[in-house]
Amino acid sequence: MSARGLGPVRSTLGWLEERAGLGGAIAPALDHPVPRSTASWWYVFGSATLALFVLQVVTGICLALVYVPSAEGAYQSLLYLNFQAPFGWFLRAVHFWGSNAMVAVMTLHMIQVFLWGAHKYPRELTWIVGVFLFLCTLGMAFTGQILRWDQDAYWGLGIGASIASRAPGVGDALVSLLLGGPIIAGRTLSRFFAVHVFLVPGILIGMIGLHIWLVLRIGINEWPMPGRVVTRETYRQRYEEEVHKDGVSFFPYAARKDMVACGVVVLAVVLCAVLFGPFGPHGVPDPTLIDTAPKPDFYFLALYALFALLPPWTETVVILVGPVLAIGALFLVPFIAGTGEKSWKRRPVAVLGVLVIVLTVTTLAGLGVAVPWSPQMEAWTAAATPVRYVKGRTPLELQGALVLQNKQCRTCHSLGGGGGRRGPALDGIATRQTRDQLIRQVLQGGGNMPAYGKNLSPAEVNALVAFMGTLRP
Amino acid sequence: MTRFITAAFAAMLALAGCDAVPGRPRPDARELAPTEVMAFETLYARNCAGCHGQTGRLGAARALNDPVYLAVAPPERVRRVIATGVPGTAQPPFALSAGGPLTDSQIDVLVRGIKDRWQRPGAVTGHQIPPYDGGRAAGGDVGRGRAVFASACARCHGDDGRGGPRGGGVADSSYLALVSDQHLRTTVIAGRSDLGMPDWRGDGGTAPLTPQQVSDVVAWLVAQRRPVPGRLP
Amino acid sequence: MTPPSQSRRGFLFRLGIGLNVLGAALVGIPVVGYIFGPARRRTDGQSWIGLGPIGAFPAGETRLATYENPVRVPWDGATAKIACWVRHIKGERFQVFAVNCAHLGCPVRWFAQSRLFMCPCHGGAYYEDGSRASGPPPRGLFEYEYRVRDGALWVRGGQLPTLSRPV
Repeated sequence: MSARGLGPVRSTLGWLEERAGLGGAIAPALDHPVPRSTASWWYVFGSATLALFVLQVVTGICLALVYVPSAEGAYQSLLYLNFQAPFGWFLRAVHFWGSNAMVAVMTLHMIQVFLWGAHKYPRELTWIVGVFLFLCTLGMAFTGQILRWDQDAYWGLGIGASIASRAPGVGDALVSLLLGGPIIAGRTLSRFFAVHVFLVPGILIGMIGLHIWLVLRIGINEWPMPGRVVTRETYRQRYEEEVHKDGVSFFPYAARKDMVACGVVVLAVVLCAVLFGPFGPHGVPDPTLIDTAPKPDFYFLALYALFALLPPWTETVVILVGPVLAIGALFLVPFIAGTGEKSWKRRPVAVLGVLVIVLTVTTLAGLGVAVPWSPQMEAWTAAATPVRYVKGRTPLELQGALVLQNKQCRTCHSLGGGGGRRGPALDGIATRQTRDQLIRQVLQGGGNMPAYGKNLSPAEVNALVAFMGTLRP
Repeated sequence: MTRFITAAFAAMLALAGCDAVPGRPRPDARELAPTEVMAFETLYARNCAGCHGQTGRLGAARALNDPVYLAVAPPERVRRVIATGVPGTAQPPFALSAGGPLTDSQIDVLVRGIKDRWQRPGAVTGHQIPPYDGGRAAGGDVGRGRAVFASACARCHGDDGRGGPRGGGVADSSYLALVSDQHLRTTVIAGRSDLGMPDWRGDGGTAPLTPQQVSDVVAWLVAQRRPVPGRLP
Repeated sequence: MTPPSQSRRGFLFRLGIGLNVLGAALVGIPVVGYIFGPARRRTDGQSWIGLGPIGAFPAGETRLATYENPVRVPWDGATAKIACWVRHIKGERFQVFAVNCAHLGCPVRWFAQSRLFMCPCHGGAYYEDGSRASGPPPRGLFEYEYRVRDGALWVRGGQLPTLSRPV
């Protein structure tokens, strides 16, 4: 476009600027000098998280145009979005994959910031606000999962209420507060809708503003150099010197990489949406349909796994005290290690801590996907006795195989890879246990297995152990 | 560059609008409540495959993918067995009214599906099939039955059903305690071809069993029932 | 002596603060009561609910029964329905269990063959009388109070059973 053509645009902008003065207010923020070392690909996660938040707000508002926040109509409106509303499925998909991406990228941002020592003096408050943002985002993830008003949402609330009920003294009140009534029903959904759509997003927007204000006011964390120790007396002066000596203006020198990163994450979300589509809704949220095995979305799989693996007697304490300690620790990080070495190269404990936490959470989440502790409720009628264990067996042994199916042993025990993995696999059991050991284990239970003594006739026991006696590799 | 982005965007929009997008949910992908499932394959795989085998044969329980069995068993009896189960045996009831998971129409789908898939009209032509109904009521004679067993069954199942080289024992008191009279009769008539047991026509070495012989041998087997000594904790 | 204008300004300032505090309190107290209202323990949440004639529950068997929760709002839809397990021991002796697992509230399923309740979430198992058999549950199944009146089975319920308020 020629310079002549730009004339009217310029004069319009000038007219606006004279009255609103927005350019004058924003320009210093864009132009503010940052250390050259921070124009790095490692520094893009914060902006990428913000871009995803904007994406969530836009798609969320669109979904709210159609979604009905009533226990009676929510499920129908989700089906309408999936199958009838133009691009409804796409918006649902973007909102779902965007939420996953937001949790993921925000976690990366948090890890990067911690390893680069950005929580240290004078950025403690920025970190604390960031922890609030982290918690609010997880809150959005949980409440959003509830708005997908299907069986998983219904029973997920049941799990949430059961956890809340374990709080000593106030458990009962907490449950009623959470559900908005005596049971999981219409008022529960309305509550979660208001929290997901008004309350937490409002807090998030305010906190994001504060977070960015703090970053602008104190300056972006410089690239940490081993040996450059942070002290309260010298840090700010040294930072100012570095910025003056070797600084660049944020826009466009550092912003370029941020812009690319924002574009990449948004496109990645769109790609996921187009390829994998929206998530759910799964079964109808009818509490009388109990043939369901509720499972949380991936951000809470680690917690879900933890609940299965904890010894029962530690559970209440861990469930109630664990989160308080974990969140408290996050808030206290800048006060425990607010000064000193910033570079991860000189902070072995910090690096080790991050590694341990990341490995623990991913391992637990992996277990949460595989659910080895969950019984396979349909195995007894759906997981066939492997053909190699059927061929050449006597009539009594075949009846034993039927007892094994019929008494739901395979809910917890697998055979030929089919069935639950809660108990040991029964392949080759004949080489590990004698006939008498098998009989005792079946009748008396023990080791986390119920006793079947009252539920098996002598003939059934004979048939069962006759069959198990043939299970050799 | 700009042109490329515009083209990509337009392509994406076009894709999102049409059915070719893999992520777009298909209306038939809607999740059904367990009682709404009406596909035979799904119902069979969820409810029957565990005992009767994935393909209807080589399971621990009777093969359903067996034209001889389907020629013998009347569909209404198959239906009743599925719906109300066989008390005292490993066949559980599946009808909702009996505490099971399936609606009446789902059971109809199973009965029809088993017939449609696995019945073959010419399976037993040229032979008179012994009637399905029997057990004690069929008027078998224990003494004659013992002789029938010796001539027709003992070759595999051993003298007096104590088990032989090619077939396990059938006079075992635990085995007999776990099966119904009808199970014995059905097995004598229809055999277990998937496991190598011939039907009532035998494997060519002997003449087919007459309906009376079937009743006799079943009567003898029933007479072998003995209380099983208990072993409770 | 303070000039009259000064004292008037001071008065207006204090009046402004006072009026706003009053307004905040008048709105704020009901808001807090509104939000935390459901948390107050209410005894009228529990009531007797009919599960139908006892003939529908064969003796010696355990069957799923459903009812409409007595405390409900018109837009609850299907979620007003609640399921429970009815074990008819014999005669007028029953046990009625909540479907919610005592561990984390997932729906337990009854398996008539092995005479066990099993939970699909974390593998809790209970015997037919509701007592804990294995797995993580800290106690047996939640059990409703019941009575038989004129050949019909009634249970006392109306709340989501949890560890802090078992039925």
